[in-house]
Amino acid sequence: MTAVTWSQVRFAHPDGRTALEGIDLEVAEGDLVLVLGASGSGKSTLCRTVNGLVPHTSGGRFGGVVTVMGRNTSTNRPRDLADVVGFVHQDPEAQFVVDQVEADIAFVLENLGTAPDAMRRRVEESLDALGIAHLRDRSPSSLSGGERQRAAIAGALAAAPSVLVLDEPTSELDPQGADDVLAAVDRLRDDLGTTVVLAEHRLERAGPLADQAVVLEAGVIESRGSVREVLPAYVGAAPVTQLGHLLAWDPVPLTVREARRLAGTMPSPALPPTAPVEAPGDTLATARNLTVGHGRTPVLDDIDLDLGRGEVVALLGRNGSGKTTLLRALAGMHTPSRGRLSVDASVGYVPQNPNALLFAPTVEDELTETLRLRGMPDGGQVESWLQRLDLTALRERHPRSLSAGQRQRVAVATVAVGGAQILLLDEPTRGIDPPSATALETALRDHRQAGGLAVMATHDVELAARVATRVVVLGDGEIVADGPAADVLAGSLFAPQVLRVLPPFLTVDQVAAARGGPATGPRPR
Amino acid sequence: MAVQIAPSPLYVGLVVLICFLLVELHRTDRVLSRAFPVMLGLGVLFAGIRVGLTVLTTHGLGRTVLVTLPEATLPRLLGGFTVGGPIEATVLAQAVADAVPVIGVMAAFGAFNSVVAHHELLRSAPKAFHEPALVVTVAITLVPATMRAFQDTREADQARAGRAGRRGRITRTLLPVLETGMERAVALAESMDSRGFARRQATTTERVGSWFVLFGLSMVAGAFVALVAREQLLAVVLGATGALLVLVAVIVSSRAGDVTRYRPRPLTARDLAVMAAAIGAPFGLAMATALGDTTLTWVPGSPVQAPSVGIGPLLALALLLAPALVPPASTVETARRPHDRAEVVSR
Repeated sequence: MTAVTWSQVRFAHPDGRTALEGIDLEVAEGDLVLVLGASGSGKSTLCRTVNGLVPHTSGGRFGGVVTVMGRNTSTNRPRDLADVVGFVHQDPEAQFVVDQVEADIAFVLENLGTAPDAMRRRVEESLDALGIAHLRDRSPSSLSGGERQRAAIAGALAAAPSVLVLDEPTSELDPQGADDVLAAVDRLRDDLGTTVVLAEHRLERAGPLADQAVVLEAGVIESRGSVREVLPAYVGAAPVTQLGHLLAWDPVPLTVREARRLAGTMPSPALPPTAPVEAPGDTLATARNLTVGHGRTPVLDDIDLDLGRGEVVALLGRNGSGKTTLLRALAGMHTPSRGRLSVDASVGYVPQNPNALLFAPTVEDELTETLRLRGMPDGGQVESWLQRLDLTALRERHPRSLSAGQRQRVAVATVAVGGAQILLLDEPTRGIDPPSATALETALRDHRQAGGLAVMATHDVELAARVATRVVVLGDGEIVADGPAADVLAGSLFAPQVLRVLPPFLTVDQVAAARGGPATGPRPR
Repeated sequence: MAVQIAPSPLYVGLVVLICFLLVELHRTDRVLSRAFPVMLGLGVLFAGIRVGLTVLTTHGLGRTVLVTLPEATLPRLLGGFTVGGPIEATVLAQAVADAVPVIGVMAAFGAFNSVVAHHELLRSAPKAFHEPALVVTVAITLVPATMRAFQDTREADQARAGRAGRRGRITRTLLPVLETGMERAVALAESMDSRGFARRQATTTERVGSWFVLFGLSMVAGAFVALVAREQLLAVVLGATGALLVLVAVIVSSRAGDVTRYRPRPLTARDLAVMAAAIGAPFGLAMATALGDTTLTWVPGSPVQAPSVGIGPLLALALLLAPALVPPASTVETARRPHDRAEVVSR
């Protein structure tokens, strides 16, 4: 039976921008459907049509018919569909209504007038289904990102909806939190037969779970089908899928395990020529015995570090390991409690939350404002950074009207346009789409080649593999590993996907380059 | 209320100490758990500003001069008064006496928000107050997010603009905070809509109850106007009728509708005891006033006299320690009992 049907659906925002055009789609009951596409392609809008948020709360022009479990969303408001559709936002914190996990989960049941006994049972089941029974009395604001998102899903699940819609639920999470959330979603699909509509960028984990995938491009369905049909040609596919596509493996793998099996039976490219490790240029920042924070457990403890020109340094480590604190110390926002930190160049700091920077009426004004604040004339820097970060077409848009990925690029351009030699980026690719990530990576490489230094705190080992020249791993405020990216990542349990399948290749690009090079030899072991 | 009836700095200091003790004893991990130090700090700031302005602009009330500052007389357009000059002990003491109650009120408000779990209050409120109480609870969840947005924005701006960018920093900080707050509010409204909030139509009884509340509150407001006009009999009639209408509306609305509530938390004997003690404190102080206790208000005089203490007010204020002596009934104990797991009222 069909759970959700879109029939000739079109939608334009109140300002006239088209968001969806001619959408015809059906989702079978119990399926997990991935909604893919670049930022601004219409993924969120499509998700929001499922429970009628579009058009009931969005305004704009809406056409066509969306039916959910036989109910037309045009004649049923979101609140009327609360018993059949559970909706989870990208930002979990924005959707908690009550300051206690258990009471928040019960919110939907109170609104539905659920009988007392059933209400109690549903809350318990929801807590168990998401594995958060131990968090029942906690305040959502005191939870980690992954716990918070699971609590938000439990809040949507309590009404036992037939359809669960998740709009980029892992975009704000670290890899462990993302794993927990996606595992919980998979369990719901398997155990309860819940239909899941999932908009997601992290396909390393979400790809193998899905039954079908839909790719949107400028509001139109570009391709659809099973994940094995759709993902290989998708630009944001997991590295292991891109690798299989490049090497024409059949079937194209979705997981590292599948890829390893195939790699053993297929011819592999030759080893890449050993690239000499470039020595960093002049030292721009030096830390000696750097300790930040007070008390028995300082956030950074006795750090020694030299950072030079021409480096892109990736800071890896779990949440709370001190990555952000190190960046903030370099930016002069934390005073060392012990040791010495000298920074001999101008610094630009891009915070984790791009919204903290954006206030001007247009993207272009936002960049110009930085120059004005720093008393610098515009010698073409604004245009240059708009181009580098692929923002030229968005220059007249209000920054707040942009998607998460586009806002992140604007924030980076806003800081970088000031000409800082040291760029500090905190989780620069968190929640952003593949084209935005690519633009950002290119900008970082350009900055490095121009003699600048970039330091980024990230959980994304694939990003580190693609762009970093050096990787520093932090653990409990101490440096656990420090060296060239290839060396540090090669010895890691959480190595990039390609490295785990075809060592010592780190990225798909390296494999492609090797294939275009000398004769193909046996796969290196 | 106790602070208003007994504004002497000694009694206010005692109230602040009791607030501190209660916050330390019943600290939570809730969003407003840091409300006490913040509100106390704000209270001290407001009081300090008031004292500073008073001592700088009031002269000639006492003979003891603590220090003499340079003085300047403002133009007539700005009031024409003198700022600075001799700082007098009597003026300082009187300014402190006038400003201290602000600290007490802020401390009490902060302590209440620090120790109270607002969602539990929601469960204990009569059903008629469920939705207004829910709105307050929702508003409270926005507080920490707004504070965090403010801190993030300020730091990001400092990093972007450096020292040179102090001009216009308030605008550059407030705009992103306001815009983030608006986005968050819209997301929250969508979340509430998606989760069925306001799905049920109000019943006729509830609508009638709403009109009763409106009329009742109007009559109470009319009673205040009558009091100002010294029409005491009319004020009593209006006030009593208004209060009765509101009470009837609450009872009727609480019995109407088929709203279910998850784990309602009925008030226990311990809760009622604590509430009675909290009401007893200002009542006791009012009794002390009626009996002619002169220690409640401090009049410093010239030369300055130290404030004094009376045994009656101390005993009355000691009632405020009740929450420290009587631990609150645990949610787990009260609400997980089978008979009150959830509550439903059907017509």
